[in-house]
Amino acid sequence: MEFDSLLSARALMGLSLVFHTFFTPLGIGLPLLLFIAEGLALKTGDQRYRQLARAWTPVVGLLFAVGAVSGTVLSFELGLLWPRFMEYAGGIIGMPFSLEGFAFFTEAIFLAIYIYGWNRMSAFAHWLVTIPIVISSAISAVFVISANAWMNTPEGFRVVGGQVVDVNPWDAMFNAAWLHEAIHGTLASYVVTGFSVAAVYAWLLWRKKPAANARLGLQLAMAVAAVSIPLQIVAGDLAARRVAELQPVKFAAMEGQYETERGAPLRIGGIPVDGETRFAIEIPKLLSYLGYRDFNAEVVGLNAVPKEDRPNELLTHLSFQVMVGAGFALLFIGGWYWWAWWRRRRAEPGWLPGRWLSWALAASGFLSFAALQAGWFVTEFGRQPWVVYGYLRTSEGVTERDGILVFFVLFTLLYVVISAALIVALLKWPHGPKQPERLPGAAGKEAEGVA
Amino acid sequence: MSPELAAAGVALAAVMMYAMFGGADFGGGVWSLLAWGPRKQEQRLALEKAIGPVWETNHVWLILLVVTLFVVFPTAYAVIFEALYVPLFIALLGIVARGAAFAFRHYGQRESRLARQSLQWFSWASVATPFTFGLVIGAVTGGHIEVDGSRVLSGPFAGWLGPFALMCGLIGLLICAFLAAAYMVPRTEGALQEDFRRRAIAASLALGVATTVAIPVAAADADAFASHLDDGRVVAAMAVTALLGLAALWALWTRRTRFVPPLAAATVAGVVGAWGLAQHPYLLANALTYREAAAERITVVSFLVALPIGSLILVPSLWLLYWTFSRDTLRGEEIAH
Repeated sequence: MEFDSLLSARALMGLSLVFHTFFTPLGIGLPLLLFIAEGLALKTGDQRYRQLARAWTPVVGLLFAVGAVSGTVLSFELGLLWPRFMEYAGGIIGMPFSLEGFAFFTEAIFLAIYIYGWNRMSAFAHWLVTIPIVISSAISAVFVISANAWMNTPEGFRVVGGQVVDVNPWDAMFNAAWLHEAIHGTLASYVVTGFSVAAVYAWLLWRKKPAANARLGLQLAMAVAAVSIPLQIVAGDLAARRVAELQPVKFAAMEGQYETERGAPLRIGGIPVDGETRFAIEIPKLLSYLGYRDFNAEVVGLNAVPKEDRPNELLTHLSFQVMVGAGFALLFIGGWYWWAWWRRRRAEPGWLPGRWLSWALAASGFLSFAALQAGWFVTEFGRQPWVVYGYLRTSEGVTERDGILVFFVLFTLLYVVISAALIVALLKWPHGPKQPERLPGAAGKEAEGVA
Repeated sequence: MSPELAAAGVALAAVMMYAMFGGADFGGGVWSLLAWGPRKQEQRLALEKAIGPVWETNHVWLILLVVTLFVVFPTAYAVIFEALYVPLFIALLGIVARGAAFAFRHYGQRESRLARQSLQWFSWASVATPFTFGLVIGAVTGGHIEVDGSRVLSGPFAGWLGPFALMCGLIGLLICAFLAAAYMVPRTEGALQEDFRRRAIAASLALGVATTVAIPVAAADADAFASHLDDGRVVAAMAVTALLGLAALWALWTRRTRFVPPLAAATVAGVVGAWGLAQHPYLLANALTYREAAAERITVVSFLVALPIGSLILVPSLWLLYWTFSRDTLRGEEIAH
């Protein structure tokens, strides 16, 4: 495989997106946890909730900071790697990006006020500050996802003689795929946040590490997780039906469906290569039902389009299997936790998850990220070979410059260093919750009094 | 005024805001690197405290600039980023390294190896990034990049390594150093204040010299820019900027500390504004005007409509942020952490 400009550019863009997508769900989900925790503290008067929010604050600051710079990378790389695509699409789909700019700006401002506002404002005012963070972070996600949706279902323009004319940026923004992508993509953030925070606390509790209010933190995170995961699976079903309707070839790649047929089977697992999906568990007629709510509906197969117009079915199908598999595993773990809690809650007031449940909860953090990344792989690999579906091929959008591989290597090295530093910093965090009064910028009286 | 020109004005305003806020932020790193004397640690801590609450916001201006370019002037965005991909990638590496390093130092454990190494990364990236952005500005202005339609003809190193571009890099760095030191003056006290005051005076003199020397350098190396210097509006803008710079120096000299930050910010806005006027009507000198680069009218108008609506939320929020944190006097004590 030769590393030409196209492959280097795709590799660098992919790397940058994957790295960024580790931080964004937490940047969207953690503010919701802060909102709930501080709200509960106000409502119940139980200060342990407030201590939890306080212990999370530096983590939120750190993750948001790395997320923000890795997002700047993307805004540059659209031009650095895909100038021909941006020249084509910038004027059509720029609108959600500029609105996202405003939303992100608002988020950054209120997050700074929140982080540095401990001890400077009343508990009520501090809780109020979480509201614009929760809203603006979710809106940012919706806007950015709308741009991605447009790449899948481009609308709001016409092409006459190779020229883009009759642009309508609002039609482009509210294209056919934006709603289901926005719901599915934003809910994913709450799923990831719920399970990964729960995973950290489950691990700390199981290893008997010192961590303040760990049981409460676990409970709160699992509440968010348990509410969001069933919703996410319903949203996923909606998204799949929309893809079946709007991008049948992508749907075929996701499901490993080569032949166009009525009453198509659902394939669980399996390896689609050379025109056949091997080793899959097939459930007769279920794919037709899931895609079109009719057991005998016709499902278009990959063979219906020439090879050069198809995505890589192996990557798309496997990513889809990972996403769905991880999603249902998370549903199971969420159900297991609350079922165990419900059975023991009276008999053992200090109930802690047992060994197997603790391990499952710890694994759920990884599973949630796996599901999220795999989901994006499905969207992105499944859109190929198009950058603007049906209009502009990825190979036509790429830069004509050489040497992109050099920057791919440099960014890989930098991201490895940052990831290593992040792991070092976060592994020390168990000592953070132990001392919830230690906060950056909390130069207020209370903090100084304690420290 | 056409909507396209108004949008070009918005892009210029974003550059100004980024210079005034993001510039000071980079300058904080520059002075962290150059911290010396008996109050070395105090200087660094005071700078860190000043940057802490606002650094992310300071850098959103850059995102706003990039977004404005690609929504309203997609051709310019594509051409400039393709032509100058090498320095822009370098600046991007700097932004990532700097932001991550600051976060690790600020939120992590103070006395760790990670914190010490982060300070090094942060400081060096704070020097390299604005210098590289200066090179990009110089290249956009210098007129050495050749374009046919939206295809870039010149090589990857064209335009950003010449004398004029290097001069712009230096000016970029000095702007940051000047602003950071100037902003710190009213927010510190005693000997620490005196440290920053001296640094601000030195940086303002250096900036004055550099911007003056840039004119003959432009005449020799950057026709595209130099040919606009006899325009009455550009001359007027440069004269006003020079006066503002002198006023800032006067305020520093006579210790009228309250006046220092607004005058310093106005000086930098003047430098950027004069540059912007001299660029007119080009986005990429001698190659691409703002009219040629603009998206369809409806996109430009939609953007201009969205802008004030967004500002309704943004401006009060920003005011709240700066109002909350600019009242503190920064002492170089350990951060209660």
